[in-house]
Amino acid sequence: MTLFSIARKNIKRNFYNYFLYFASMIFSIVIFFTFVSLQYNDQIVKATTMKVDGAFKAASVALIIFVSIFIWYSNAFFTRKRKKEVGLYSLLGVKKKQIGLMLFYENFVMGILALVIGVILGALLSKFFVMLLMKLVGAAAVDVHFMISGKAIIETVIVFAIVILITSFEGYRLIYRFKLIELFQAEKKGESTPKASIFAAIFAVILIGFGYWLALDMSLGIWSNFLFTVFLILAAVVIGTYLFFRSLSVYLLKLSKKNKRYYYNGINIIGTSQLLYRIRGNARVLTVIAILSAVTLCAFGTSYSLYYTNKKSVETQYPFSFAYISQGPALDHKVNEILDQAKDHKVTNTVSVPALKFEADLPDMDNPPSQYFMDLRRVTLMPQSEFNKLAGELGIDDKIHLKGNHAIALDNEYNANYSPKYKGEHAIIHSKPNKATLEFIGFKEFNLLNREVGGLTVVVNDQLFNQLSKANPVANIKEINVTNAADAGQLSNKLADILPEKAKFSDFYKAYKGAMSASGIMIFMGAFLGLVFVLATGSIIYFKQLTEATADKDRYDILRKIGVSNKEIKGSIAKQILFIFALPLILGILHSAFALASLSKLLGQNIVIPVLISMGVYTLIYIIYYFLTVNSYDKIVKAKKRI
Amino acid sequence: MKVMLEAGNVKKVYGQKGHIYTALKDINLEIKEGEFVGIMGPSGSGKTTLLNILSTIDQATSGSIRIDGNDIGKMKEEQLTSFRREKLGFIFQDYNLLDTLTIEENIVLPLALSKVKAKEIDRRVKEIAGKFGIEDILSKFPYQVSGGQKQRAAASRAIIANPSLIFADEPTGALDSKSATALLQSLSQLNVKDHATIMMVTHDAFAASFCSRVLFIKDGVIFTELVKGETSRQEYFQKILDVLSALGGGKGDLI
Ligand SMILES: Nc1ncnc2c1ncn2[C@@H]1O[C@H](COP(=O)(O)OP(=O)(O)OP(=O)(O)O)[C@@H](O)[C@H]1O
Ligand SMILES: [Mg+2]
Repeated sequence: MTLFSIARKNIKRNFYNYFLYFASMIFSIVIFFTFVSLQYNDQIVKATTMKVDGAFKAASVALIIFVSIFIWYSNAFFTRKRKKEVGLYSLLGVKKKQIGLMLFYENFVMGILALVIGVILGALLSKFFVMLLMKLVGAAAVDVHFMISGKAIIETVIVFAIVILITSFEGYRLIYRFKLIELFQAEKKGESTPKASIFAAIFAVILIGFGYWLALDMSLGIWSNFLFTVFLILAAVVIGTYLFFRSLSVYLLKLSKKNKRYYYNGINIIGTSQLLYRIRGNARVLTVIAILSAVTLCAFGTSYSLYYTNKKSVETQYPFSFAYISQGPALDHKVNEILDQAKDHKVTNTVSVPALKFEADLPDMDNPPSQYFMDLRRVTLMPQSEFNKLAGELGIDDKIHLKGNHAIALDNEYNANYSPKYKGEHAIIHSKPNKATLEFIGFKEFNLLNREVGGLTVVVNDQLFNQLSKANPVANIKEINVTNAADAGQLSNKLADILPEKAKFSDFYKAYKGAMSASGIMIFMGAFLGLVFVLATGSIIYFKQLTEATADKDRYDILRKIGVSNKEIKGSIAKQILFIFALPLILGILHSAFALASLSKLLGQNIVIPVLISMGVYTLIYIIYYFLTVNSYDKIVKAKKRI
Repeated sequence: MKVMLEAGNVKKVYGQKGHIYTALKDINLEIKEGEFVGIMGPSGSGKTTLLNILSTIDQATSGSIRIDGNDIGKMKEEQLTSFRREKLGFIFQDYNLLDTLTIEENIVLPLALSKVKAKEIDRRVKEIAGKFGIEDILSKFPYQVSGGQKQRAAASRAIIANPSLIFADEPTGALDSKSATALLQSLSQLNVKDHATIMMVTHDAFAASFCSRVLFIKDGVIFTELVKGETSRQEYFQKILDVLSALGGGKGDLI
């Protein structure tokens, strides 16, 4: 029997294990290749600013780390399954060196094969993959033309060649690292319990704290060596997390073991001992899950925050789907006809607001708001009764009562640092017959008129408005809300075609799409990475569960034989898995909170709401994962036949 | 005396279409409370199969089994597990110790599962470990102890909860003669003092001589039985050997 024929028989017999390993390698290669292809995409390269470039680099570092961890993990899973087999060869008198070489070749050939298949599959699928993702993310506005780049292929090949070489050496080393007896006991023997050292726990907290501090500090401007800083943060947090889990989990489990009242109470003894049995492996898995959760949350959090802040600012600038200045009843009628014909969009609200536009001076303001300049140094006056009516219709609980020449500005782009303070400041309007002076007594952080038609909108008392409208032309501003405004491209074009320049047609759709495509690449990248990492976390949990459930099956069979009910077994499994799930989720959320706080500083925006929503959604997905895991674990353990 | 276990026309067929194998053909037996019954027979004759079926771990293809008046064929899975926990004790041929637990934890498992107080558990473990001479290995894991020690641990686990019916499959298979005798004596003490009913599968005529009755099976049917009655153990041992040689296959095949 040649070594080659033994190896071939092996692959046949262990097909399932080989397949899992092979598939996870191909999966990693396809993901990495797709991402790198995006990075070298001409269009994206053109659109990338400095900031995006940094984020891209950070993301690809994260992806390389992830891919290495993932392949290393699958390899460890795979190798563990084969320890016994290796022991058998050794027993049969095959030389260690030969076995080592066999494992090396096997892994190397599989790796190269996976690389070739992965790149081909990546090239074929990534376009489709990207399109699918865009659909999923709803980022239809991001228009990325996808193509295969040589650079991406080269980079993928280099990264994976290194990873494959390292894992192949691992296989070679396997045979030298273990004694024959250990190879046979691989499945039976528990892992030696590490000591619960206070020192390690403190060191872990210090490392994590250092990582957090660096993350917060980085946003203050130590950008000079971005990659190095990111690497340092990652290293500190990853090592800190590992040490933390190792000491904490040992401490918790030992504590519960010491408490005999708890330990000797029903099935607790089983769960606790199972967890202790695999303590080192558990610490590793907890770390990997915590880090992956943190990365996922950061990716989702970042992209969702960008999306959220963009959407929010467009929504405040465009309270209505469409707005224009009326150019007479004939044209209004045409507009209404077009709106009636639109099948996909129903009109939910139409308002007509009288307004006066005046050129104006703002003598007290150092930094007049941008809307003023956009509207050619004009302000738009609106009577308070109209304001109150409109606000009521839009569900805004706000009423204005003004006296004399008092006025309130509607500044929806208000920023505490840059905007004028308004209160006590004046506007001199060039009305006929005489100029008039308005005194601001305050402002609101929203507007009721769309940006193009409203400009800097100023609410005044009705008497003043009526008086001014005697000698000055009153504009009639039409505002319309329709359903699905974010998709109203066609409708918007039709309206723009019939409305003249003077009407200052303003539509939510165009502004929204503009904002989305500006930050679309970032949003897309975040969503892409987020999805990849959610999948990765899922598969790692799957691997763990598959290995352990299969190994634990015998134990649960024994338990059933001595009279433990299925219900109790499921309860114990649920508790054990909860331990594995809950700890890393908590730490992962904490990690991402600091990372996103740093992002918030960087953006100069409050992103608490989108971050909380991302965390909520992730936790929900995670809880679903939890129940799925408990169920399939339970199924494997209860199955009559061995898997 | 009350009937503890009753089996009628028990049949067991392994495998599905094509590869079927009838391990038990038509088994009828009755065990009274307080009996110590041995089961002997050549390898592959169906001893383990019979024990598994009688002890509710496996299901018969047909036939009925009543334990302590309960028809176990009619019990639901949940009922069976609690029945097993409360009434039955097991010593398996391949030990069936949990390798995640220390020897001590393995032994206390039935008590822990029945939520006995920790103090009481500690007391019982000490007592039983003393009986079987395994005090020194209590904190070790199964992979760290010898086969005989594992078997004694398994026996300790089987009897710690004072079950009313104990099933033992080759309990002395891995023991040297001294520990085998110790184990058999404690089983027999359990039988005499605590009136526990015991059913033991064995290859070993010496072990079988501790029983009050021995059933011999061959090719899935009960071939004959031998009651100890008033005979001495020495005589009984000799009689068992006689039956075994009559059963064929010779002594060598049986030990
Ligand atoms: N799960 C199974 N599937 C198919 N056949 C089985 C199964 N278990 C046992 N057998 C067959 O049933 C027969 C009886 O097996 P059993 O284990 O009861 O024998 P035994 O008398 O306990 O033997 P030993 O003394 O070697 O332990 C054997 O021929 C065995 O091959
Ligand atoms: Mg047997």
